[in-house]
Amino acid sequence: MTDPTLMVDMARLDFAWITTMHILYPPLTIGLAVFLFFTELRWLKTRDEDWYRLTRFFEKLFIINFGAGVATGVTMEMAFGILFGPFSQAAGPFFGNILGYETITAFMYEAGFIGLMIFGWGKISPKMHLFATFNVAFAAILSAFWILVANSWMQTPTGVHLDKGLFLVDDWTAAIFNPNALTGFPHMLVASFEIGLFFVAGVSAWMVYKNRHGTLFLRSLTASLMALVIVAPLQITIGDSLGRSVAQHDPAALAAMEGHWHTYLPDGSPNTRWNVVAWPDAAQGTNTFQIGIPHVLSLLEDHQWTSVVPGLDQFAPADRPPVLVPFYSFRIMVAAGFALFFIAFWALILKLRGQFSVAGLQQRPWFLRLVVLSALLPFIAIWTGWWTREVARQPWLVHGLMRTSEGVSQMSIPAEIVWFVGFLFFDLVVWAGTWYFFSKVVRKGPDLDAPLSQAYPPDRLGSLPTPDSTAERPPFIRPSA
Amino acid sequence: MTHIMELTHAYQWFTVIWWLLIGLFVVLYIILDGADLGSGIFSLFHPNSDERGAIMASMAGTWDANETWLVVAGGAIFGTFPLAYGSLFHYLMIPLMVVLWGIILRAVSLEFHHHSSSSRRIWDWGFGIGSLVTAFSAGVALGAFLQGFPITDGQVPTFQGGVMDFLSPFSLWTGVTAVIAAALAGGIYLRARFERDSSIYAQAMAWTDAMFYLALVAILGTVTWSFFKFPWAQARWLGPEWWMFMLAGAVVLFATWSMRRASHHQQDISAMLWLGVIVFINFGAMMATLYPWFVPGTLTLFDAANPSNSLTAFSYSMLGFIPVMLSYNFYQAWVFRARLHRLAAYESH
Ligand code: HDD
Ligand code: HEM
Ligand code: HEM
Repeated sequence: MTDPTLMVDMARLDFAWITTMHILYPPLTIGLAVFLFFTELRWLKTRDEDWYRLTRFFEKLFIINFGAGVATGVTMEMAFGILFGPFSQAAGPFFGNILGYETITAFMYEAGFIGLMIFGWGKISPKMHLFATFNVAFAAILSAFWILVANSWMQTPTGVHLDKGLFLVDDWTAAIFNPNALTGFPHMLVASFEIGLFFVAGVSAWMVYKNRHGTLFLRSLTASLMALVIVAPLQITIGDSLGRSVAQHDPAALAAMEGHWHTYLPDGSPNTRWNVVAWPDAAQGTNTFQIGIPHVLSLLEDHQWTSVVPGLDQFAPADRPPVLVPFYSFRIMVAAGFALFFIAFWALILKLRGQFSVAGLQQRPWFLRLVVLSALLPFIAIWTGWWTREVARQPWLVHGLMRTSEGVSQMSIPAEIVWFVGFLFFDLVVWAGTWYFFSKVVRKGPDLDAPLSQAYPPDRLGSLPTPDSTAERPPFIRPSA
Repeated sequence: MTHIMELTHAYQWFTVIWWLLIGLFVVLYIILDGADLGSGIFSLFHPNSDERGAIMASMAGTWDANETWLVVAGGAIFGTFPLAYGSLFHYLMIPLMVVLWGIILRAVSLEFHHHSSSSRRIWDWGFGIGSLVTAFSAGVALGAFLQGFPITDGQVPTFQGGVMDFLSPFSLWTGVTAVIAAALAGGIYLRARFERDSSIYAQAMAWTDAMFYLALVAILGTVTWSFFKFPWAQARWLGPEWWMFMLAGAVVLFATWSMRRASHHQQDISAMLWLGVIVFINFGAMMATLYPWFVPGTLTLFDAANPSNSLTAFSYSMLGFIPVMLSYNFYQAWVFRARLHRLAAYESH
């Protein structure tokens, strides 16, 4: 009655959907938290009110995003056990530990300071507040570290052996700092910086474009775009190392990402063609059509003019990943990466030419519009990057050791459909709500009138001003609706 | 299963310690988030949108941390009892899924409510319904957990059964009990968070009285039902340690009485603390009844535990964090301890 392939595929789809909808938020949380730490630090150092206003404004966007991240994230924690029970059990000795570390050292850490960061203004001293912001940013980075360790270990499972159906850990250092994690984590971290900075740049460019608080937002626009001049090329470099690490440790995944079927050309020489576009045909084990450039593939993977790059023909058909998704996802991510790099450099040129003023930029509306749109590109890059990675690992769940079909919970298909429909609905509501309220906050603009929280007396740790017992209690006012 | 036991044998102490710690995380979640969920349930019966906003504002700085205890419990179960994590969570798929939907709804309602104007009522209801659904399904999950579930006898025992196995009159009953208990906790919490002359305070007072009697019935019902339904519970309660449970019962009775008295004298913080004591002891008694089962009748602690050196690694690296975690949570709650008297509270950040 139940079709095992459909059951496995539905579980994959169920999991893919919730992770895809979760990954929209955490990188922005990380990027914005780091950005907020710097603006707040700037304010405390210079006591320049502009930085305070910018901090408070972007913090509002941060809160909305954070709420969405938590709402979608709590699901993830439970999803492994529900959808991939046998995998959770077998990989538990390593994987479970790592997720446990994440919850204890990162999630709780972040949650313990987020309230102070958001609602602590004026209740705790400005320095204590900066400390809270720092902790939130640091904890968010820690959680990205742990989750990347867990996921990278699925790509390159070092430091373990299988015993009685369980992955037992022989070497914790080797398992945590597995080869893929060493480049995977930096790539994710820099992606988070990039998404945060482009988000800030996009919002700021919009404000300058609409001529609302232009001088204020010129500051955040300049700061974010200039930081991107370093961050955007850095991301491309790390991406290149990550690609070479994949080539070395998981050649089947790389071949799938590149649509590379044949190791050798019919004449016996190594096939070094890098396909720009292709349409794969898994049944025939080749591409139905392809347009490619010779030598580029070996240049990319080995930094050599000609070298042998194993194609999918080196792997049994049962061990080959699907090609279509990794191939195109990968290309979209790379295109996005270069587009972002290009925009950052355009900004640098404008800056060097001295055209980076409100008036100067408003004469270049195309540039501003492009920066606004570019805020969407990192989201796309992160999605496609993850799809590349996860689909190209197939058919393995833990590369070379456990197949996806072995790790999936034996569920009924209707139950899997209920799951999918439910999370389809809830995650879309969260997404729509998030963007709706983003746009609302942006439309409302920064609050320039509220008193600076600096004005509050610097308190002792965690004390609240004691209500004056002689003063009359303010009555409970029920505002008229 | 014996071969897996061999792997875990040497680490029995850590196994027990982590089992107790996970119990602590769960009971902290129940005490802390129970109050938040209960306030959400209370808000369903409270027509004024601004006051509902004030209820949300009262937990603005702490709800995330409170909820995160659940995530910590989940993570720690995965880290220290992966064999239970992979089978129990599969068995509880439906109730957990509904808990997650409730949590999502509540979390976004809390965040979006104060940014909204025209959609405000949607988030009002989202907050209330999300809280109700979460409390109910979590209660169902707890009841289903107590019933145990069938597993395979392979090397790694996995869940063997349908996703509807969780459903029974008993688990529905525990769901209702959880809603009532949360409602009581919510009323007591709100009284501690609002000025005595506010209208929420007055209403929470009437609410608490009603919920108190309902909760009494529901909890006594659950204990009686468990006694007749679960042979393992009967054996433990009538066994050589019967006096421990008598003692626990006596303390709970005393705490209940103290809570009522504190409530009558408007000592709201102590009422809240007494309620915490009641929940804590009840939960502790439940765990004492369970031992050595992790999931009654299904997996013992030692069957479910993380084998090999993993548990040691987990213990050495994580035990030290627990006091730290407790202290910054306490600090955060302390900063936000003031009673609310303004409805504008949420706007003032
Ligand atoms: C702002 C986001 C962003 C940008 C601009 C790029 N990437 Fe990326 N990429 C990611 C965000 C990302 C990611 C979502 O964060 C991934 C998924 C998993 C990971 O570790 O990083 C990823 C994965 C990923 C992988 C797959 C690794 C695997 O299968 O293990 C490779 C080979 C690259 N990237 C390479 C690149 C190159 C060559 C880029 C330059 C143009 C690039 N990425 C830009
Ligand atoms: C957050 C970004 C992520 C995205 C967008 C993502 C996406 C996906 C996708 C598309 C699949 C289905 C692949 C397929 O079956 O063809 C998948 C499966 C899976 N992913 Fe991820 N993933 C992400 C992060 C992670 C992380 C961090 C982990 C582990 C810590 C993880 C663990 C898994 C597991 C266990 C499966 C199911 C088995 C499988 O199909 O391989 N994912 N994910
Ligand atoms: C690369 C992929 C991922 C990264 C970088 C990441 C990182 C983060 C970060 C920084 C947060 C903090 C809240 C927020 O940012 O809004 C978060 C929330 C969360 N994530 Fe992810 N995550 C990823 C994928 C996953 C996966 C696969 C799981 C499953 C275990 C997961 C579980 C959670 C949970 C439970 C929360 C809520 C924690 C809380 O209450 O604060 N995440 N994630």
